[in-house]
Amino acid sequence: MFPFRGAFFSLNMDSLQGLAYGFGVAFSGPNLLACFFGVLVGTVVGVLPGIGPIGAMALLIPSTFALGPTTALIMLAGIYYGSMYGGSTTTILVNVPGEAASVVTAIDGYQMARKGRAGAALAVSAVGSFVAGTLGIVALMFFAPPLAEVALKFGPPEYFALTLVGLIFLSQLGGGSAIKSFLMVGFGLLLGTVGMEPISGLPRFTFGQLQLGQGVELVPVAMGLYGIGEVLMIAERITGIPEMIKVKFRELFPTVAEWKRAFPPMLRGGGVGFFIGLIPGPAAILSTFASYALEKKISKHPQEFGKGAIEGVAGPESANNSATAGAMVPLLALGVPFAPATAMLLGALIIHGVQPGPLLMSQQPEIFWGVVASMYIGNLMLLILNLPLVGVFASILRLPQHLLMGLILLLCLVGTYSVNNSLLDLYILFGMGGVGYILRKLKFDMAPLILALVLGPMLEKTLRQSLFMSRGDVWAMISRPLTAALLLTGITVIVLPHLLRLMKCIHKPSKG
Amino acid sequence: MTLRALPVTFFCFLVLGGAYLAGSLNLPMGSADRPGAGLYPFLVGITLIALSVPLFIRSVRQKETQQEKEEAFPKGKDLKRVVAVALTIVFFIVLLKPLGYTVCSAVLMGAILRFLGLRSWEKIVLISILTAAISYYLFASVLDVPLPRGILFS
Repeated sequence: MFPFRGAFFSLNMDSLQGLAYGFGVAFSGPNLLACFFGVLVGTVVGVLPGIGPIGAMALLIPSTFALGPTTALIMLAGIYYGSMYGGSTTTILVNVPGEAASVVTAIDGYQMARKGRAGAALAVSAVGSFVAGTLGIVALMFFAPPLAEVALKFGPPEYFALTLVGLIFLSQLGGGSAIKSFLMVGFGLLLGTVGMEPISGLPRFTFGQLQLGQGVELVPVAMGLYGIGEVLMIAERITGIPEMIKVKFRELFPTVAEWKRAFPPMLRGGGVGFFIGLIPGPAAILSTFASYALEKKISKHPQEFGKGAIEGVAGPESANNSATAGAMVPLLALGVPFAPATAMLLGALIIHGVQPGPLLMSQQPEIFWGVVASMYIGNLMLLILNLPLVGVFASILRLPQHLLMGLILLLCLVGTYSVNNSLLDLYILFGMGGVGYILRKLKFDMAPLILALVLGPMLEKTLRQSLFMSRGDVWAMISRPLTAALLLTGITVIVLPHLLRLMKCIHKPSKG
Repeated sequence: MTLRALPVTFFCFLVLGGAYLAGSLNLPMGSADRPGAGLYPFLVGITLIALSVPLFIRSVRQKETQQEKEEAFPKGKDLKRVVAVALTIVFFIVLLKPLGYTVCSAVLMGAILRFLGLRSWEKIVLISILTAAISYYLFASVLDVPLPRGILFS
């Protein structure tokens, strides 16, 4: 009688059953430990300016070799969303964003701290992160399975278009010059072709080096760009220990009025964050800007923004957390990462021999549901870590920078060496560190490079399969409806900004 | 005219793209319905060149005052510090096999502490030795990373 209701109900049942199964996986000893370790590391790197989640994930990928893929992914994902919690602590107390995703929080968070409401700002960020993070996971749980179902019908041309469009989006939305970002994509794709070619195994661009046959590995590249590169940046403008605002434990409780003002932005931030997380790009960062703009727009007292409005902290800090959940959707449902952090997760899955894609959910449910369930647990752990223990993490900032930089360098070097015990990887690490430093100084975005390195082999494989399928007919390949739609979206994203600029010029000819 | 960083960088990418493109031509190209190993690198090479040529031309034409904003490379002491840290890393990599991890890590730590502003030599020596000992135990014994032992400890 009600066929639709039946279908809907069964979908829900599947999700709940899956989640129950996932909790069974996540609550096992090693996975629980991995989750705790992941969110702990995430919080620490979030607090520390200089080393971020990507560097930390690169650092810890080698140490997951001994673990199973599920445990590894639980830990690495924990670093990713955990860093979003930690980032706000530094931002509010020192006015230096711990992470790029906390830049917006600095505006009102630091102002609140100066007014003596640092505790409230910290509490609202932690609670908002928890609320929105949890909302995001619920959405992930319901969005990813149907998307994977659709993706089962994808052939190589669709995947080719999806990967290409993902790279285009990232370059356009990353901020800064899009054409420079495209150049980074090209550089990443180039690095991705070094080594054995995926179909016939022919070595390419290896200069006769046997070790290069395995290709340029993700770990030394990511660690070079984000670890060594950052250390060099900090070495350049070394400062003393930052001055910090002290917070007493009893100040951590926001007033009733503050709660009332902070709660709706948390929910809105959660919604905004999740959907922005789905779009390819630096999701977490963009979501904070979007949420801040939204809160300012609908606020009854917009004049308070910039002077310590609690909504300006609650919204963005919530949004960046649910954005991480949103960014997990394309990775887990399609096997295509759209953000540098999820690209690291994909890299880890591939190293562990897992074939990511729409079949992951049905063939290896322990990975999908285990990770989803662990995210609920991890968020709870993070709430506890970041609310009562916030002072402990803030005290990391009192470590002198020379000690910290020395330790980070050592970790980068040993971490890279431990992957293959290869000196060549260390030279790649150093080379990418230098390249990363110079390119960063010249305002290049590193995210497209990492994403292109990871997606490059997929792009080549799907391109060649597509051409093979369509017998070399490029038109037949790109005129498949979904492929065409995806490619058109990509073209629109490239052309639109130029078109808008052109229209502005026509409207205001005097200013041209 | 002084050499400016941005045009030089784009020029490097142009050269890289050109060399890469030339390399891809030596690979089997295959046919349209059976693409070989060279097709995709060929396309990537073309893309790199197509992107770096306009960027290079634009950056050469750009006014120098405008460029200075984009290229705030460090000078004097700041530059020395960056180079010193970079050389320390190179030292570690080159001498890791012959000298072994413990010596290299102690020197690395000591050098970084010194370059980034720790004044007291006693502290530098103490922290470096402690770092080397603790990290060697952690990596080699607990995490089983086969770190080179070098001449002193083999």
